[in-house]
Amino acid sequence: MSLRDDFQPRWKLALKWGWLSFAVFILMAPVFYTMYISFNELGFGAKYYIFTFQWYENVFSDRQLIGSLGWTMLLAIITLPIVIPFGLLSAKLYKQSTKKVWIVFVLLSPLFVPADILGSALLVFFKNLNKFFTIIAEYTGIYAFESWFDLGIMTAVIGLIVYTLPYVFVVIMITMARYRAEQTEAARDLGASAWRAFWEIEFPQIRAGVFSACAFVVILTFNEYTRTSLLKGGFDTFTSVLISQMLNTGMSEESYAMASIVSLVAIIIVSIILIVTAVRTEELEKITRVVKEPNK
Amino acid sequence: MSITNAIEVKNLVKTYGDVYALKNVDLNIADGEYFVLLGPSGGGKTTLLRSIGGFIRPDSGTVDIKGKNVDDLPPDKRPTSMVFQGFALFPHMSVSENIGYGLKLQSIEKDIIETKVSRMMDLVGLTGLSKRKPHELSGGQQQRVQLARALILENDVLLLDEPLSALDAQLRKDMCIELKRLQKTVGISFVHVTHNQEEAMSVADRIAIIADGEMIEQGTPKEIYSNPRKKFTAEFIGEKNIFNGKILEFTKEKIIVDIDGASIEVANNNYNIVKNQNVSLSIKSESIQITKDKDTKPENQKNSIKGNVSEITFLGQFVRYLVLLNSGQEIQVRSYEEVSDINLNDAVKLSWKIEDFLLHES
Repeated sequence: MSLRDDFQPRWKLALKWGWLSFAVFILMAPVFYTMYISFNELGFGAKYYIFTFQWYENVFSDRQLIGSLGWTMLLAIITLPIVIPFGLLSAKLYKQSTKKVWIVFVLLSPLFVPADILGSALLVFFKNLNKFFTIIAEYTGIYAFESWFDLGIMTAVIGLIVYTLPYVFVVIMITMARYRAEQTEAARDLGASAWRAFWEIEFPQIRAGVFSACAFVVILTFNEYTRTSLLKGGFDTFTSVLISQMLNTGMSEESYAMASIVSLVAIIIVSIILIVTAVRTEELEKITRVVKEPNK
Repeated sequence: MSITNAIEVKNLVKTYGDVYALKNVDLNIADGEYFVLLGPSGGGKTTLLRSIGGFIRPDSGTVDIKGKNVDDLPPDKRPTSMVFQGFALFPHMSVSENIGYGLKLQSIEKDIIETKVSRMMDLVGLTGLSKRKPHELSGGQQQRVQLARALILENDVLLLDEPLSALDAQLRKDMCIELKRLQKTVGISFVHVTHNQEEAMSVADRIAIIADGEMIEQGTPKEIYSNPRKKFTAEFIGEKNIFNGKILEFTKEKIIVDIDGASIEVANNNYNIVKNQNVSLSIKSESIQITKDKDTKPENQKNSIKGNVSEITFLGQFVRYLVLLNSGQEIQVRSYEEVSDINLNDAVKLSWKIEDFLLHES
């Protein structure tokens, strides 16, 4: 127990934990309520509650919802191998650079632009690129690039990269802050190439951060509506289906079930990240403590 | 017989913006020599070491190792190994994996790696600890792992960047003995950076004093300690009795120097001097004899001076007296025995042999 805790009345500590639990409960209550409705045979607003798995069974036979889930997963799968190396390189650049404030500013700037403005800006940008390549094609006879920036998977992925990169950068940067660059120098000194020094020495120590960033990208892809809706073209994503249902017919009971599944998966992933990070942090702190105070 | 140079550094310059980290540094380190770069923090010694190791590219100048120019080679292509200040062990690997990592990179067979690792662990005193992770070791053991990891590659030169700075005083002393023993066993050149003069004296065959990016002077530990040519060296190795004076007259044998009105005789060790030149002088505190002044004559003799005791401190192996001179300057005297009849504020006479006073270049 820390010194501060030693002199703190127990009721104060209980009050703090009580307040924190209450805040979390208030924040998560709508999600729990959605889960609660999803098991009611009579649906939202009914007077009586009859427990059922019916809506979950229906979800897996609803082609539109399952299809949208598939498209969303596909977007996440394509985005991941692009944005993670990008985030890693950015974090490495941040660590080596003396102009850290500028790097943070540039990489986090997409977060300061409202989603609808950034989405429409990208939309206009892609439309103009298409026009540009059409003109190029007319003059040069090279048509290979003409439809590159038609709205579709690629434009939606670019939108997601812009949106998720700041989060990936921050998560990896925090993990990387604990890594001591001397270890890379030691590996290079022992004969490792830059790649082997990264892969065999640095990566195992920042792995938790990289996996956390991957989980965040998947969650953010499911979470994202505005940018993806503007840039996706003809296919449906999970969020776009949910929101269009809400706007047109109100949420169906299947939507509640689907939302519950996604929320539950997200909560499980985030919990795993938190637990793994906490364990890793404790482990790393122990190692750092021993290295700093070698004779203790 | 010509001595082979393990390392030859010529005119090395390194700048960071307007700041010179190294100013035209020249250095020769012989094969099998234990060489120490000694100096205050920020003086450029680590920059010099890292330039030799290939971690820093100098602005100009050359580095040759074993007669081969290595200016364009990265660290992994140079015949050097480095021991880092903060240990830099790989925390996710065991002791034996750490030590064998360099051999693994060379795609050497697993059996051979195991044999070499085991032999190296015996050499540095880590027998039985192969499965442990670095955080399960003490500071001294971690340092031994670093040494083993570097030595196993059998490179021509071992570079040690403040290798003992994270250890406590007793462990540092033990490791100094260990390092010297290891260097004799493996027979390669060690280049050791430290700001601790005691550590430098105890391991070095030769020492170079580096400060403000410049090579101040080089010599054996005895030369550096007993006869420092530069005032900076005298100050850095802990000399407290440093004075400014003016040369009054000199012969081949001795020099008369005026220090605040007192004339001091100094042996002339072929100093390059002229009359009326301003010079720095020093005398070691253990070279001064302190006696109670029973002489009533006020004037000083050429190899003695009078003053009053302003402080007496018992420091275990010796007693330190601070003596305030009439000029207002304080002299430190170190006596291995307490002089029984000297008390605080007593008038005392300080005397020395003329060869104990040294003249320094600024």
